[in-house]
Amino acid sequence: MTAATIAPAASRLLRLELRHNAMAWLLPVVIGLFWLTTYRKDMAMPPMWNLRAAGLQSGAVLDFAVPVTGAAAWMASREVRHRVTDQVTITARPRWARLLAPWVATTIWAMVAYLGCVAVLYGVTAHQASWGGPLWWPAVVAAASLPAFSALGFVLGTFLPSRFTAPLAAIAAFFLLALSTELIHGSQSAWQISPIVTGPWDLGPQAGVAVFYPFAPDLCIAQMTFLVGVTVALLGVPALPAGSAGRAVRLAAACLTGAALLAAGTAVGLAGTGTMDAHGMIDIPALHDAADDQPLRFTPVCSDTTIPVCLNPAYAGFLPATTDALAPLLNQLAGLPGAPDRILQVGVTYQQDTGNGVIIRQDGPRSGATPSTAHLVFPEQLPEPSMTADQMASQLAESFAPDLVARVIGNGRGTSQAQNAVARALLTAAGLPDVVDRTASTGTGRSDGPGGADASGQPDVAPGTPAYAAAERFAALPASARHAWLVQHLAALRAGRITPAQIP
Amino acid sequence: MIGARLVWLYAVGRRVPFAVSAMAVCAAGLRIALLGHWDAYGALQLPLIFEAAAAVCVAATAASPFGEPERVAGPWLPFLRLAVTAALTAAAIGLLAAAGTGGHLSGGTLDVLRNVAGMTGIGLLCAAGLGGGLAWTGPTGYLVAAVYALYTQWHPPGLTTPWLWPARPPHDLGGALCAGSVFICGLAVVTARGARDPGAPAST
Amino acid sequence: MNVEITGLTRRFGTVKAVAGVDLQAGPGVFGLLGPNGAGKTSLLRMMATAMPPSSGGLRLLGRDPGSYGPRREIRRRLGYLPQNPGYYPGFTVAEYVEYFALLKEVPPARIRVAVAAAIDRVELGDRRKTRLRTLSGGMLRRAGIAQAIVNEPELLLLDEPTAGLDPEQRVAFRALLRDLGQRATVVVSTHLVEDVAAACAQVALMDRGRIVFHGTPDGLAARGDGGHSGDTPIERGYSAVLAQTRS
Repeated sequence: MTAATIAPAASRLLRLELRHNAMAWLLPVVIGLFWLTTYRKDMAMPPMWNLRAAGLQSGAVLDFAVPVTGAAAWMASREVRHRVTDQVTITARPRWARLLAPWVATTIWAMVAYLGCVAVLYGVTAHQASWGGPLWWPAVVAAASLPAFSALGFVLGTFLPSRFTAPLAAIAAFFLLALSTELIHGSQSAWQISPIVTGPWDLGPQAGVAVFYPFAPDLCIAQMTFLVGVTVALLGVPALPAGSAGRAVRLAAACLTGAALLAAGTAVGLAGTGTMDAHGMIDIPALHDAADDQPLRFTPVCSDTTIPVCLNPAYAGFLPATTDALAPLLNQLAGLPGAPDRILQVGVTYQQDTGNGVIIRQDGPRSGATPSTAHLVFPEQLPEPSMTADQMASQLAESFAPDLVARVIGNGRGTSQAQNAVARALLTAAGLPDVVDRTASTGTGRSDGPGGADASGQPDVAPGTPAYAAAERFAALPASARHAWLVQHLAALRAGRITPAQIP
Repeated sequence: MIGARLVWLYAVGRRVPFAVSAMAVCAAGLRIALLGHWDAYGALQLPLIFEAAAAVCVAATAASPFGEPERVAGPWLPFLRLAVTAALTAAAIGLLAAAGTGGHLSGGTLDVLRNVAGMTGIGLLCAAGLGGGLAWTGPTGYLVAAVYALYTQWHPPGLTTPWLWPARPPHDLGGALCAGSVFICGLAVVTARGARDPGAPAST
Repeated sequence: MNVEITGLTRRFGTVKAVAGVDLQAGPGVFGLLGPNGAGKTSLLRMMATAMPPSSGGLRLLGRDPGSYGPRREIRRRLGYLPQNPGYYPGFTVAEYVEYFALLKEVPPARIRVAVAAAIDRVELGDRRKTRLRTLSGGMLRRAGIAQAIVNEPELLLLDEPTAGLDPEQRVAFRALLRDLGQRATVVVSTHLVEDVAAACAQVALMDRGRIVFHGTPDGLAARGDGGHSGDTPIERGYSAVLAQTRS
């Protein structure tokens, strides 16, 4: 055989195998599983590329691993099941090359189905997403896992042909995937190499990751190296036994298997050095590109409210709900001394806590780089599937509004009762009774801010006090009267020269 | 005595001893898994994986190595299929339940009973429809869906249909009825017809 | 000589399936006769390179099949039909034969013609698109023969090739054997001595792992003059040789 005859022969053989591959029959199962467990879940998340890509990687690997492993094991045991071993053994084509054909066919069918699934999911996301583009690394890792699981099934089916091989291989593949994530404890776990891990396991999918900073592909690179290494090593194994191929091929297979195992082992070691960075991604020092630590440039999308609310374009879909939730308050504060000119969304930073905990803080100072900008942090949990956009915006307003009011009215130690009364009145008038009621019932001026950030600033006003009565009075005033009074008396209020009784 | 000999030969022909060994390994695996400290996902998912493995072992024995000669050999075949399949299912449940005794087995024995029976039923239906060799496709696919349904208990949108019984509480009647009916249907079909013969379109 | 065997032995545990066989065969049809368990299939499997011998010398087509390179070269020019050939039920007849043509490294440019010719020679031309699972036993046997001859082998080994064939097909098959034997060495293992009588130029009779007769069909028939059981002279010769060996 020469190179000129190998290609057409391989192509004909592959066509035959593709026509008679069990994976083709399993495609409805795979596609059904993808729809049920990955597509539905991804579509229920906000249309942000980072969330959809992470969901695609972990979901698709789980959906495809079981059928692909089973089908490959099933096809590899075909010769024994159909008792054609003698007939095919005495043919000239090396055993290794002969066995590889059904593996290739199984992998091709799985890959075609997977690419179709990716095309649909990313196509729909492209229509829905407001900013950014597809994150290909997670999709590539999931794609690389298909030949790896196919090779696992192929080797098991080749060496242990039995009616029990395919089912047990399929379940063992699933068990490996499930077990791998159970063994991740905190950062620097080698089990992060598992292809269903898309980031810091203790953190879970985060909307803010890869939005303010570029996607860091460190873990994906390690996972790819591992998967390719495992695939090559597994495929080399059937060529090793005597008689499987010529001496040169066996030697090459042995070298390739050794090199592939080395690569896979190195990748596992690298994954073990991966820690969660401040941007919520896995940072592997040996693979990390410093350019990924530079913030992404973007033009925020802003509302046309009296004080514009400006969000990262990836969050543009939440702007209307956010604006609606904050507008009543912004209208009252606009034009007052100390009120911001705009409100700008910023990201958060992540830090591994003891055990499996993660500390999340606002990225940068609470105020903007300029005094005229206030920083806004979105809650960890974005709308859908567990809450609506309005609920999310209300939650955001509840956590952000007291801060904003405190920034204008004044806060900190020595805040006067009049200041608290006015702050409470403004929140009540802005339709944020939850914040006000919680403050009234607990008598504290503190609650957890977004992402666990410290958000003090809720007015401390107890029922029955003169300040409480003043707050009720002031909230009942028309908005224009309230605003006019504030324009006139805000400086005195902040200086502590106004008593509750003087509040209209 | 002759009856016992016939049952034994039938069982050997279908590799029942290997299936029992594999189920024993599953039970041992479950026991070892229960020694570990898992989070909520792991505590629910890992037993389900072993239950699925035991179920596919039962379903894999449905395939006949003899085909027509056996089918025309007498009236005992349906009874043999029924007895051996039911006994194997009971053995799988018993082994896994025994492995869970004294451990922190989520859902307890009732869960094992329902999940193994239901997934075995799926496997038997696949054996009848696709052939004994491909009986595993249904239970393994179902395992993925069921594990996802368990996951949605914490992460909506939830999958709460009783047809995904592993995600329902052990005492849930709907889940038990669905699993039970699938098992009875599978057992009935395999008893009456046996697994589809090799040579079916999907078995190439 | 395409087949040169000296002192060939094959053991399965303590059982000697083939016990020191010596045999030479050139182009032509060679019949291998013997009762059940005589060692015919083991000998054929060793000649097909499907199983290595325990000891002894084996040269096929002038090469030593013990080494990978020569073995691969032999296999390119080898055809083999096992006693119980397996098949992939979802394959059509044409796909089945094409699959083996590809495995036997028939040049891709020749495959289409070679497959069609092999199928036609076993008279399955009208069934080339039929899936194997729907074929009768005899037709499956013919498909098996087609895969064995698709590479126009120089050494063709057929184990019970006429089992399941109807009388008409058996007659046609004998003609095919004679035709193939003009260019290649065809070794036919069979219980049907009339096939040997009709198609083979040389015949060997095996019993208990040894060759107890090697000669022409007429020579074998001549050994049966002593009133041994059998309907035809060659059957009587067959019985006589076995009886003589066992006594």
